[in-house]
Amino acid sequence: MDFGDTTVIKDLSFDVRAGETFGFLGSNGSGKTTTLRALLGIYQPSAGTLHIGGKNFDPRDGARLGYLPEERGLYKKESVLDVMVYFGRLKGLDKTHAKAWSRQYLERVGLADRATMRLDKLSGGQQQKIQLGVTIMNDPELLILDEPTKGFDPVNRRLLMDIIEEQKLAGATVIMVTHQMEEVERLCDRVILLKDGTSRAYGTVAEVQEQFGGTRYRLSYDGALPPSAFYDIVTDAGGNAELSPRPGGDERAVLRELIDRGVAVRSFTTARTSLDEVFIKVYGENHEMAEV
Amino acid sequence: MAQQTSTQLPSPAPALPTPPAPPKRPFARHNLRTVVDFEFTRTMKKRGFWIATLSIPVVMAIVFALIYMSNSSTAASEDAQKTAAVSFTYTDASGLVTPGIATAMGGTKATDPGQALQDVKRGLTEAYFAYPAEPATQPVKVYGTDKGIFENGKYDAVAKQLLTASAQAEVGSPQLTAAASGDVKTESETFKDGQATGGFGSAIPPLLFLLIFYISIILLSNQMLNSTLEEKENRVTEMILTTLNPTTLIIGKVIALFMVGLVQILVFLTPIAVGYLFFRDKLAIPDLDLSTVTFEPGTMIVGALLLLGGFTVFTGVLVAIGAIMPTAKDAGTIFGPLMALIFAPFYAISLIISDPRAPIVQIFSYFPLSAPVTAMLRNGFGTLSPAESAIIIAELFITGFLVLRLAVHLFRYGSIQYSSKLSIAGTFRKKNALAGK
Repeated sequence: MDFGDTTVIKDLSFDVRAGETFGFLGSNGSGKTTTLRALLGIYQPSAGTLHIGGKNFDPRDGARLGYLPEERGLYKKESVLDVMVYFGRLKGLDKTHAKAWSRQYLERVGLADRATMRLDKLSGGQQQKIQLGVTIMNDPELLILDEPTKGFDPVNRRLLMDIIEEQKLAGATVIMVTHQMEEVERLCDRVILLKDGTSRAYGTVAEVQEQFGGTRYRLSYDGALPPSAFYDIVTDAGGNAELSPRPGGDERAVLRELIDRGVAVRSFTTARTSLDEVFIKVYGENHEMAEV
Repeated sequence: MAQQTSTQLPSPAPALPTPPAPPKRPFARHNLRTVVDFEFTRTMKKRGFWIATLSIPVVMAIVFALIYMSNSSTAASEDAQKTAAVSFTYTDASGLVTPGIATAMGGTKATDPGQALQDVKRGLTEAYFAYPAEPATQPVKVYGTDKGIFENGKYDAVAKQLLTASAQAEVGSPQLTAAASGDVKTESETFKDGQATGGFGSAIPPLLFLLIFYISIILLSNQMLNSTLEEKENRVTEMILTTLNPTTLIIGKVIALFMVGLVQILVFLTPIAVGYLFFRDKLAIPDLDLSTVTFEPGTMIVGALLLLGGFTVFTGVLVAIGAIMPTAKDAGTIFGPLMALIFAPFYAISLIISDPRAPIVQIFSYFPLSAPVTAMLRNGFGTLSPAESAIIIAELFITGFLVLRLAVHLFRYGSIQYSSKLSIAGTFRKKNALAGK
């Protein structure tokens, strides 16, 4: 995918399996939104194809698609209900069903009393809820969400996550772009991490965690923590340490090593590298600081 | 699943109903009516639309009411003037004035012009007319007591009427007097290929298409321009493009706009129709003699096709501008000059009517943005040959189709450039393999 002489996406290939939630991760400018737009035919890619069920995909073929774009907006001067019914009809619902569904959705998200208000009279978060409703009102088979929780407070973020989970349970395949790693860990089955338009990590969440740090041992102890051939010390402060195992350094071997070398271990737990840490590893501390 | 703690959420939050799964249907086949319905209805629901639309007939009604009242008082004063005789003196160096007629009209012959003028100045007599020796070459001097700008005109009228009545009496034949003054009516009939041509009456019906074209463009052009800008400015484009074929969206918007235009025209014409049908005399609306108007089928068909083709070209161009420009303000800079083009042919109207072979007329006839107006004028005045009609109509439809295609393309691939002007060439680079086009 090129913009002028600049190649934005290069040699990118991935599968999204039916019914799974797929996390599309990456720093700002890494090419996530561009990839989605190219897949949806909004941008013209230089090359490449999207297959669904083995067939070439074209959104104009009438697939039940729900897309929540990063750049959000609806017809701001129209009433909430009119806009929802319009999109419902465009997505193939008849007017009666679209209206009934919209009213129930508004009730669900606490906006029932705003149904006849103009959209531009609603707050940004409320407009986001309407946009999500429009996205899912055709019971989509494929749901693509580009930073769905952007602009939501924690309560509404939780509500949105619930709704996405419902869609997943109802059988939708979900592709989600997000910077919120806890959302990924909670919802996603598999992920891809993009950097500069290429894939840097791809697989199940566990596989990616394994690939970028894998297992960590967290312990509390008394005494001095000695270096060892079984582990690397990642952090060590105030009697709490995090160890990264070396080859052969499974739980038993590391624990035995610590005890044999006189460390009084008070607690010992095994954990995987968090996706936040994976993210920092892929994109670097400097990038993370710049983003912050 | 539900949020139990928030005051913003219903508690317990019900799961969303599952709508009946919509059938898979390609975009273009089921959404046109929905778009037309939405676009038309939302315009009709806007208070601003009705305020703007109704303001014109309201202003017209106010003007008509003022004319009505004014004409009523004018008629009353005319009646009063008819009954009020003008008292005047006159001197006649030409010898043409018949004393009996002058006396009957309230005149008295004066012997001393200077004294007669002084009497008027002092208000002793109402008016004094000095007929010269050669009225054909010298002016009749009219002096009167001031009665106001409009009523003072009666002095001239009486002075002329006295001379005309005296001349008729002298000639002894009103017909001869009328013939001598050129006050005669003619009826012309011309022939082409053995068939009577319609004359000026046949030019009126096809020129109505030009009127409709102007009204449509003036009323709808701004809305056409904004039709795609709205999606861009409101960031709706991505939602739309994954829900709806852009061709369907744009065609739907154009149809809805046309329907809105029809509603506006109906609203504008209603007071005119009511005024013409019921208050024609009071409003001083001329009683149109439609007997001279002839409808020639060939000319009418050409006019209709030119209107349709021209409308298509301008619609495509305006929608394309909307797709290229990031905001309505930016689009306005192109909109003005474009609108000037539909009036440009009127600078050459005398050539369009009299010398259609002139290079400027030919350029205007074939340049797509000036062609509709020029060709409709030439069609109305009978200087557009069938071959030229066919070429121009074909050109307009082909250009309109291509420009509309370009507009759809620009909207599809350019309208998510929310804040910058679109590079047209950029949208054509590296054609989309994914979309299977």
